[in-house]
Amino acid sequence: MTATVDAGTRRVTTAKAISEGIAQEMRSNPDVFVMGEDVGPYGGIFGSTGGLYEEFGSTRIIDTPISETGFIGAGIGAAVEGLRPVVELMFVDFFGVCFDQIYNHMAKIHYESGGNVKVPMVLMTAVGGGYSDAAQHSQCLWATFAHMPGMKIVVPSNPYDAKGLMISAIRDDNPVVFMFHKGVMGLPWMAKNPRSIGPVPEEEYTVPIGKAAIAHEGSDVTVVSLSISVQHCLDVAEELEGTTSVEVIDLRSVVPLDREAILASVAKTGRLVIVDEDYKSFGLSGEIVATIADKDPSMLKKPVERVCYPDVPVPYARVLEYEALPTRDKIKDAIAKVTA
Amino acid sequence: MVDNDTRVDFYRQMVRIRAYEAALQANYHADKTPQWDIGAGLIPGEMHLAAGQEPVAVGLCANLEKDDAITGPHRPHHLALAKGVDINKMTAEIYGRDTGLCHGKGGHMHLFDPEQHFSCSGIIAEGMPVAVGQALAFSRKGTDNVAVAVAGEGAANQGAFHEALNLASMWKLPVIFIIEDNDWAISVARDSATPIKDGSLRGTAYGMPSQRVEGNDVEMIYEACKTAVDRARAGGGPTLLEIHTVRMWGHFEGDAQAYRGDELAEANERDPIPAYEKRLISAGLLTDDQAAQIKAEAEAEVQAAIDFATSSPEPKPSDAYLHVFA
Amino acid sequence: MSETITFPEMSNDPDAEGVVATWFANTGEPVKAGQVIAEVMVDKVSVDVEAPIDGTITCLIEEEGTAKQGQEIARID
Repeated sequence: MTATVDAGTRRVTTAKAISEGIAQEMRSNPDVFVMGEDVGPYGGIFGSTGGLYEEFGSTRIIDTPISETGFIGAGIGAAVEGLRPVVELMFVDFFGVCFDQIYNHMAKIHYESGGNVKVPMVLMTAVGGGYSDAAQHSQCLWATFAHMPGMKIVVPSNPYDAKGLMISAIRDDNPVVFMFHKGVMGLPWMAKNPRSIGPVPEEEYTVPIGKAAIAHEGSDVTVVSLSISVQHCLDVAEELEGTTSVEVIDLRSVVPLDREAILASVAKTGRLVIVDEDYKSFGLSGEIVATIADKDPSMLKKPVERVCYPDVPVPYARVLEYEALPTRDKIKDAIAKVTA
Repeated sequence: MVDNDTRVDFYRQMVRIRAYEAALQANYHADKTPQWDIGAGLIPGEMHLAAGQEPVAVGLCANLEKDDAITGPHRPHHLALAKGVDINKMTAEIYGRDTGLCHGKGGHMHLFDPEQHFSCSGIIAEGMPVAVGQALAFSRKGTDNVAVAVAGEGAANQGAFHEALNLASMWKLPVIFIIEDNDWAISVARDSATPIKDGSLRGTAYGMPSQRVEGNDVEMIYEACKTAVDRARAGGGPTLLEIHTVRMWGHFEGDAQAYRGDELAEANERDPIPAYEKRLISAGLLTDDQAAQIKAEAEAEVQAAIDFATSSPEPKPSDAYLHVFA
Repeated sequence: MSETITFPEMSNDPDAEGVVATWFANTGEPVKAGQVIAEVMVDKVSVDVEAPIDGTITCLIEEEGTAKQGQEIARID
């Protein structure tokens, strides 16, 4: 169920919205528990589990040793036996040390067992860059995960969606990878876009997995995006109001991908810009273009503009990193190009 | 000490498993056309049989209940059968039929029987963290069920083994780690891969009781597993058991095993079933006729399972798209 | 009735500089007693600041602006 946001709704950070979603599910379902590195008293290094240890203690909020294969596998085993673990992979970039458990086990057990065994687990992880954390700590990688069948992937861009998607993810009987961009968390120690703080209803509510949202309605151009890039796209859309009517689609989920929403918008505008902080080639932006090409390429009045992270590892120096990131200026240029 | 009825039952179970593996071996090769084509025949793909390792499965599973869990390796049949997985559904799965445990989705290396809490995986050592998780669930639910992770001596060199042992020990979980040391990781001898002779040292290193069991003797294995299982059920935490067994056949069916040299023949002389049969006959618990009867019954049961499988329908091609998500 | 809210004492060093990292309510908005109105941080440690009474808030420090411990950061009328 959705929940109404009115003028009086209190505003919180995305980080707080996530931990609140987890807390509410933990209060109503004793099978939910959390495991990960520094998720206990520390509250998660990006704040995803803030306050949970104080409320639920060490039996339900478990600090693990540095053993991703071990504790992600343990999450799978617990889920297979009917519990509902929320397991945190501290940085998505660390998937290399534990991806077998993720893509060969978590994602495949339901299929391999012919539907007889479920894995109702949430794997949450921090993604993204823009604060000089360099090549091994700044990646998005949703396309890498999306490419492997068997796991849902959700990517909130704002606090309201973050809480609703977390609750949906915990209630889903499938493995759901919950990818939160560090830059949308509203952390006090990282520069933030004001959109990382927002109204979040106090009661429980869900946001459907697999459904995009029209974050800003428009008619001249469709801009499809996700995660922190949605915030940049909205800034640009608001700036261009009066000049260009920009429709911003916030995907919210990568798997399932809401192809219908993308097609409906492009059918309306005929012009498509994709803004994606993950690597450009062999990934999500290409999949979105394929969605159009598979259906009806004549929908497009102009070629597609892809504003993505280039196919280079993330550099450390700010001037280098920002040369590569899909920034507001690049989004504006892309919109100008397709609407010229 | 094991009572006499149980000893005969151990023998019966081992004979049953051997009959199964032998039948699969024969059938696996029988209809491959061309003979070298791994993808051909009614049982396509890889096949890893456990002849020689029956004592481990039987000695272990005699201590387990239905609700205890096992995660097994790519060589799982002996464990599945000893655990109580339905032989018909298991065989149908190996034959890729819709009536199989997994509707043909998993095959021989991915047998899932949730009623028996049995699963196996083709990725070396990766079932070990999952067993830790099952033990975590049992512990949280307050049952006295245990989880068992079975892997080979080669798996003990994989990161997942070490992480799993450390976690199990740190959290004092009711999980038993069984390393089946059959001397070979495909073609690599144990001594070429593992610098310590006694792998139970690794359990000690992670703070858990640990034992290496020599002899491939079903009764000794039963006793060692009993101690470990009782300990886990009582809240005493994990145990590592390294059990020396024998891989009588190839790593996979089709493995020429040139790398084994003379050791292959010697290994087959260590067949545990004739040895146990001889002991039981000497002890007056079994006659030659009874042994023959047990063998015939086993072969009949196995054949019935194969008949069930081969007469079962294949899944519909469009079923390939099912079960990605619940 | 009016109350001022000061930057909490969070560090042993009285001169330590803090930052008002995030305002959850903006000047002119109504707030309730107990509502979290800001997140402040000193030396990488952050805490939530709650409104002590119901009323209308006036924010005295800009978001991401610095303040000393004990400094007035907001007023509720």
